[in-house]
Amino acid sequence: MKGLLTFKRIKNHLTFNFNAFCNVLFGQMPPPALSFANPVETLKPSSQHLIDVQQLFKNSILWAVPKHRRTIEKRLGRKFGYITEFYKMLMPRTDLFTCNHCGHYYQRRHLCPNCYKRVKDETTEFQEVIEKELGLDPIEQEVVVLYKGEKTKKPEEFWKGKRIVELKREKPVWFCRNLLQRTTIGNSDCKDVKPSELA
Amino acid sequence: MNQAEVSQLISKLRIRISPRHKNLKCPEGPQGRLNKLRKTVNALFKYERLELNYTIADETRGYAERLISEAIRHGDTHKPTMEMADYWIEEKQLIHKLFKVLVPRFSDYKTSYTMLYRAPKAYPDIVYPRSVLELRGNPFPSILPQRIDQRNFIHNILLEEAKKAYRAEKYEQITKSLNEQDVVDK
Repeated sequence: MKGLLTFKRIKNHLTFNFNAFCNVLFGQMPPPALSFANPVETLKPSSQHLIDVQQLFKNSILWAVPKHRRTIEKRLGRKFGYITEFYKMLMPRTDLFTCNHCGHYYQRRHLCPNCYKRVKDETTEFQEVIEKELGLDPIEQEVVVLYKGEKTKKPEEFWKGKRIVELKREKPVWFCRNLLQRTTIGNSDCKDVKPSELA
Repeated sequence: MNQAEVSQLISKLRIRISPRHKNLKCPEGPQGRLNKLRKTVNALFKYERLELNYTIADETRGYAERLISEAIRHGDTHKPTMEMADYWIEEKQLIHKLFKVLVPRFSDYKTSYTMLYRAPKAYPDIVYPRSVLELRGNPFPSILPQRIDQRNFIHNILLEEAKKAYRAEKYEQITKSLNEQDVVDK
């Protein structure tokens, strides 16, 4: 076997060298072209003897194949996943609630996104104002942030010992103003409906 | 026994500290981890309310609580406490805040000095859990909305009174019917 391989290698080497030699002498070899083939030769009847299974096993190499059928549990697990670890099917979520305050949905044991966003915007504004006001001075007093017109609501002594930072705008009303408007107009003598009021 | 009492050495915190630290992603190793935490502790004292990833917020919380409780216990004349504050607080004007503002604010507290909330997740994005860390008694609007089911609301008081009146009426009726039965029996 080893001898055969070495022989083959030498042969390949020689043919390669011969081709290179020809290329040097006569320039590039012509490209391969089509040629006629004898149709009678290709229609030779194949050998008629039966395939011997024993012989087949002896002569061929067998690759690894599954030896056993996979159990139903394993197949189902692969198909749908496992509830405890990784479940592939869609499951209804039971951890969503509505906020008592604003009515938006929130995840259990988390903050309500709507309420939190409102507070967060307010907080960042406060923080910016405080940082601007205090700068690099040592902070020695509690800081109180007041909206416009809030300072006069309480006596002077209340703000003593506190550092007051005032915002330029009034306190936001976290309450829908539309709720104060009346939806129906009662006790009107006029009976015809005006189309302009409908829109 | 010459053993020192543990409660004398370390101040007991009012939050639950897990026995194992939380892993923070830190290519710089343990020193990088400390630098990261120092930054957040400093920011917590500066801004009083932060939104952070849950792991770093939880770690920061312990360090901030410890620092405040040490400051309350020993005051600003204690050298180790001052060194600790100097290490953990990078902006030095905040050391004044720790001893002059936070210590008086928290000295009477029976609860923890910080609060940790879970911030909402944006569905369906898969994100790291975020959380809100804040010092108690801060000047910002409160994160949790006021409870609606307050007992002292006027409609709740009126309903309670109505319930009482209804019950009294019922009892009167029952006693009356019992008396009548007694008369019939006699």
